[in-house]
Amino acid sequence: MLSIKNLQASVGDKPILKGINLDVKAGEVHALMGPNGSGKSTLSNVLAGRENATVTGGSVTYQGKDLLALAVEERAREGIFLAFQYPVEIPGVGNVYLLKAALNAQRKHRGLPELDAMDFLALVKDKMKLMEMNESMLYRAVNEGFSGGEKKRNEILQMVVLEPNLAILDETDSGLDIDALKVVSHGVNSLRSPDRAMILVTHYQRLLDYIKPDFVHVLSDGRIQRSGGPELALELEREGYAWVGDATNEGVVAP
Amino acid sequence: MNPFLAQCRASFEAQATLEAGVAERGQRQAEWTRFEALGWPTTRLEDWKYTTLSGLEKLSLQNSVEPREEVKGVPPSLPLEGIPANRLVFVDGAFQPNQSMIDRLPEGVRLRFWSDLDAQERERFTHKMAPARALTAFGALNGALFTEGVWITVDAGCALEAPLHLVKVSRTGQRMSHGAVLLELGENSGLTLREHCVGNTDQPTHSNWVTAIELAPRARLTLVKVQQEGLLSYHTAALHALQRAGSHLQVFSFALSGALGRNDITLRLIEPHAECVLKGVYRVADRALQDFHTSIEHDSPHCTSDECFKGVLEGSGKAVFNGRVRVALDAQKTSSRQSNHNLLLSDKAEVNTKPQLEIFADDVKCSHGTTVGQLDEEQWFYLRARGIAADLARTLLIQAFTLEIAEAIPHVGVREEVRHLLSGTVEENDHV
Ligand SMILES: Nc1ncnc2c1ncn2[C@@H]1O[C@H](COP(=O)(O)OP(=O)(O)OP(=O)(O)O)[C@@H](O)[C@H]1O
Ligand SMILES: [Mg+2]
Repeated sequence: MLSIKNLQASVGDKPILKGINLDVKAGEVHALMGPNGSGKSTLSNVLAGRENATVTGGSVTYQGKDLLALAVEERAREGIFLAFQYPVEIPGVGNVYLLKAALNAQRKHRGLPELDAMDFLALVKDKMKLMEMNESMLYRAVNEGFSGGEKKRNEILQMVVLEPNLAILDETDSGLDIDALKVVSHGVNSLRSPDRAMILVTHYQRLLDYIKPDFVHVLSDGRIQRSGGPELALELEREGYAWVGDATNEGVVAP
Repeated sequence: MNPFLAQCRASFEAQATLEAGVAERGQRQAEWTRFEALGWPTTRLEDWKYTTLSGLEKLSLQNSVEPREEVKGVPPSLPLEGIPANRLVFVDGAFQPNQSMIDRLPEGVRLRFWSDLDAQERERFTHKMAPARALTAFGALNGALFTEGVWITVDAGCALEAPLHLVKVSRTGQRMSHGAVLLELGENSGLTLREHCVGNTDQPTHSNWVTAIELAPRARLTLVKVQQEGLLSYHTAALHALQRAGSHLQVFSFALSGALGRNDITLRLIEPHAECVLKGVYRVADRALQDFHTSIEHDSPHCTSDECFKGVLEGSGKAVFNGRVRVALDAQKTSSRQSNHNLLLSDKAEVNTKPQLEIFADDVKCSHGTTVGQLDEEQWFYLRARGIAADLARTLLIQAFTLEIAEAIPHVGVREEVRHLLSGTVEENDHV
């Protein structure tokens, strides 16, 4: 589904991604771990099409297409979803408006009829139940005044409504209380299927207790330094990142 | 003398001759003399530093002299259909009894027209209009050239739920219109006035109205003005309000189109516990200009003012915001907020924003803030990352920026209507 080859990207003159290689197949869940500042969010953003990091080399193929050639919104309509590490507040744009516009943009792109208000509301209310969210959230502005945890939950609500092919979750677990973590994990797991893939960026094993990854990668200093199975995450939890290739010695603090 | 002034003079002379009463003639003469003494506003004057009238100067515009000059067949593009009962329609400055609907107003609301007033009443009207006309040279010009005036009084205790609509149409090209509105609200009365300034011509026009407001104790007035005139319209307007104890005034002013707009707004809180809200939006197209000069005067203790203007500028659009807040020495316990936020959508757009705080009392809470910025890249990216087209995402963010002002309109019907105007191309029913 996704094939990243020797991907390099810089912010300004500063190289952040220094040759990422990663293959993600349909049905797989990959966990991406690594110390603060190692480039996890930069990678996620580059995949979603954010332009504040400039791609300086390498390639990304998504479902046979050159991903880097697609505009941000085209990537989204092609089924890429990024759950933001820091979801943005957008006063004046209703949550429900965004959800509907997003879903219909995607349906249109796929040649499906747009949903009318009734069908859409029925769908969204169903998904809100799954996410154990209060319906009043629908009628508030996007993320405005939401607590940290509510914002993360709202990201996953968008995800379960949009049903992406490739979901990239950037630290969706950070800032969630224990119950919320379960709800969010439940939402994520509800989307797991043989034709979907996920990349979970996380610092903590706890998320991986709920969403079992097939692979775990350690990103450090702009490169994937190690890859392995779920056991690698447990090892990191015990030992931190001190052993990882580069000089960084920031450890991981258990939640 | 520039062509504009030459035509104004010709019109003044014609009108003064037509005027039956000696007093009225004298009054027009006095205003004309004052206008001449003030001189044509140029950018050499501090108040007009960033607002050049060079476009207006070149125009030779006719004035309407007949207060009831009837215009048959108001063009269908005018929004009269959508405006229900309680509407006053003026076309090119002349009152249109046949287009207006004022027969269903409650008893406590009285409308009188300048042209129907007796000499004594005219004198009172003129006296009450004076502070508004004193605000700018265009106010004096209005006093000399005005075609018709309406005097709206709401009796004590009378509160009107349905809004009263004041529709000012610039229908004919190469015309100017000068009108006057006097609004007096009695104790504990309430009114929502929705002012539509619309244009129906691609030719140049000039609309120059003055509005004077007096609020008795605990009166509540909401004034919602929307400027939506043609591309080549010039709009100058002066508003002056006097607020007595515990009165509540909310002024919303939306300048959404036109070549040049200049609004001078002065709100005076002259007795304790009066409150005013002054909010507005200016959307400035390429090469256009909108200028708001506002002044809130706290002359009495325990009053509150809340002011916020937001601007969106495109191309080489220009905007001026001058927000004066004066707190007199004995206006203790004043609470005053002011902000002005601008969104520049192009490198060539320009905004001159100046808060002007003159605070003489010491026990006050006053704040002000100004921002000038571009569209938020992160918000833009977020919307696109959800599949929203780049253009639509941009439009949504621009609207969101201005909608906040409309949300504050208390009357739900008017609020929805203005929201719709601000949403423009994005269908309202998309809001689900
Ligand atoms: N706009 C920017 N200007 C300068 N440096 C930047 C900018 N954006 C990102 N960086 C740098 O890029 C590096 C990678 O940042 P990134 O956010 O990708 O890290 P991360 O792995 O997601 O970290 P965390 O675990 O803290 O979320 C950091 O050193 C960061 O300071
Ligand atoms: Mg990060």
